Amino acid sequence: MNTKERTSPLTSVIMIPVACLVGLPLYYILVNTLKTQQEMTKSPFALPGGLYLDNYRNVFENIPLVQAFMNTLYVTVASILLMLFIGSTAAFGMILRASRFNRWFGAVLLVGFIIPGQSTLIPLYRLLVNVHLIDTLTGLVVLYSAGSIFVYFLILGYMRTVPYEIIEAARIDGASAFQIYWRVVLPLIRPILVTVAVFQTMWVWNDFITPNVFLTSPEKSTLVLQVYKAVGEFTTDWPAFMTLSVLALLPMVIFFIFTQRHIVSGLLAGGVKG
Amino acid sequence: MAGGEAYLLFLVPIAVVFVVLFLIPLVQTFYYSLTDFTGYSNELNFVGLKNYQQIVTDPTMLSGLTFTLIFTVATTILITVLAIPLAVVLNRRFFGRNVVRSVFFFPAIPSLAIIGLVWAYILSPLGSGALNSLLHTLFSAGPFPWLSDATLAKVSVIAVGLWHSTGWHAVLYLAYLQAIPADYYEAATIDGASPRQQFFHITVPLLTPAIIVSQFLLLTGGLRVYDLPFTLTKGGPGYATYTITQSIITSGVAQGRYGLASALSVLFTLAVALLVVLQLAVSRRLERRMA
Repeated sequence: MNTKERTSPLTSVIMIPVACLVGLPLYYILVNTLKTQQEMTKSPFALPGGLYLDNYRNVFENIPLVQAFMNTLYVTVASILLMLFIGSTAAFGMILRASRFNRWFGAVLLVGFIIPGQSTLIPLYRLLVNVHLIDTLTGLVVLYSAGSIFVYFLILGYMRTVPYEIIEAARIDGASAFQIYWRVVLPLIRPILVTVAVFQTMWVWNDFITPNVFLTSPEKSTLVLQVYKAVGEFTTDWPAFMTLSVLALLPMVIFFIFTQRHIVSGLLAGGVKG
Repeated sequence: MAGGEAYLLFLVPIAVVFVVLFLIPLVQTFYYSLTDFTGYSNELNFVGLKNYQQIVTDPTMLSGLTFTLIFTVATTILITVLAIPLAVVLNRRFFGRNVVRSVFFFPAIPSLAIIGLVWAYILSPLGSGALNSLLHTLFSAGPFPWLSDATLAKVSVIAVGLWHSTGWHAVLYLAYLQAIPADYYEAATIDGASPRQQFFHITVPLLTPAIIVSQFLLLTGGLRVYDLPFTLTKGGPGYATYTITQSIITSGVAQGRYGLASALSVLFTLAVALLVVLQLAVSRRLERRMA
């Protein structure tokens, strides 16, 4: 349908204005970070008169953004590594044997795939209080490891496409189960590991509900929570709030630019979370 | 490891995750839902189904339930109706296609919570709100109470939801569209099928797997909705945009009404599970028919 078709000017004429409309809020936010409050009230949609960077200076001085960024980075990296480890070992354990136990176990794990996080929120809150992990970043990592079940299902699907002869050959050569997992299987399933890591990063980095419920200390805030808490501080200073939002969104935008390819292939791999 | 049970070791980590983060909490939720547990004292009495009765009579919980359902149904239908034609258009060749695709897709990338906060500024009901001042300058209309009127607030939350997710689902459809062989359309054109007939008799049926995936994500995501209404309207005005999740968090964590919140969680889990089972049944039947 698309290869032989010629370019259609009419589509451009319709779609470019529509896209501008969809992108307008983003433009609005971005240009107003470079304006004073008076300038924003007078001409909110015009391009800024000059390069005015006081909003950025103001936000960096008043909000511990670097701290929040480091917190988020720690939680995200630790959670993703943990999820990939648990998910991939489980998938490997499942393909090694086609026993009745494994079939039963796989069916049980499906329950974990269906249960929404909200259903277990209250007992988990009490659990973290009891083990003194409430209001800690490590507590968040523990909670996010629940995502391993989803990771397991995605990796399992991909692992089944790895020819079993390769594993068999390594076994005959005397490799231990762990050596096969680490040296043979992990390198072979790299594409799915990358795709899964990209999707889970978007989830953990952007998540609001978990930090909002489980964190209370300001110095432990993640980036998203920090922005949420700062809203009260900037109720009247719109350009400052816009600036904070832009700074908070920036890491994800950069991440998106580098991983766009993997997101689209992940969508094809069976529709991941929206 | 030949003949050994070493492989079982690989299943230990996920078994721990399942038991600690799913199985035990789920059993506890079910158990609490039958008690008057407050979380503050260890006193705990068995109250049977009283919590469940209370949900049905509690006006806040009912508003949360109602808006969650409205949001789920509205976003599922509207996004599907908008995203499929959008994907078809984005699949055509035209000047600026890549930029247009990215613009539509982009809103799904940042955190929904931040999106909600930013839109709260844009939709501010005051005359100085971005949209209101724009409408005033262009048409001297308004100001409109986007977030302070119950109906308009519901519409606003759904509209921002559409802005956020339509492009994402369009890209999902696009990925499947690109897999449809061009010959189908050529053959249909030779046979004299109109573009409209081609859309309904080739495109839509071949998109069935994508429709199933997209609907699944929209339905389960819709029922779980929390970030967007919470940051955009705080659930208000009143309880107009309250959600099930917000009910669970407020009554369970903030107010210590564990029993009630747990009962709501149980009903919520059942609803989501039912949806997933239905979804699986429907998609199996459809796949068999397509095969």
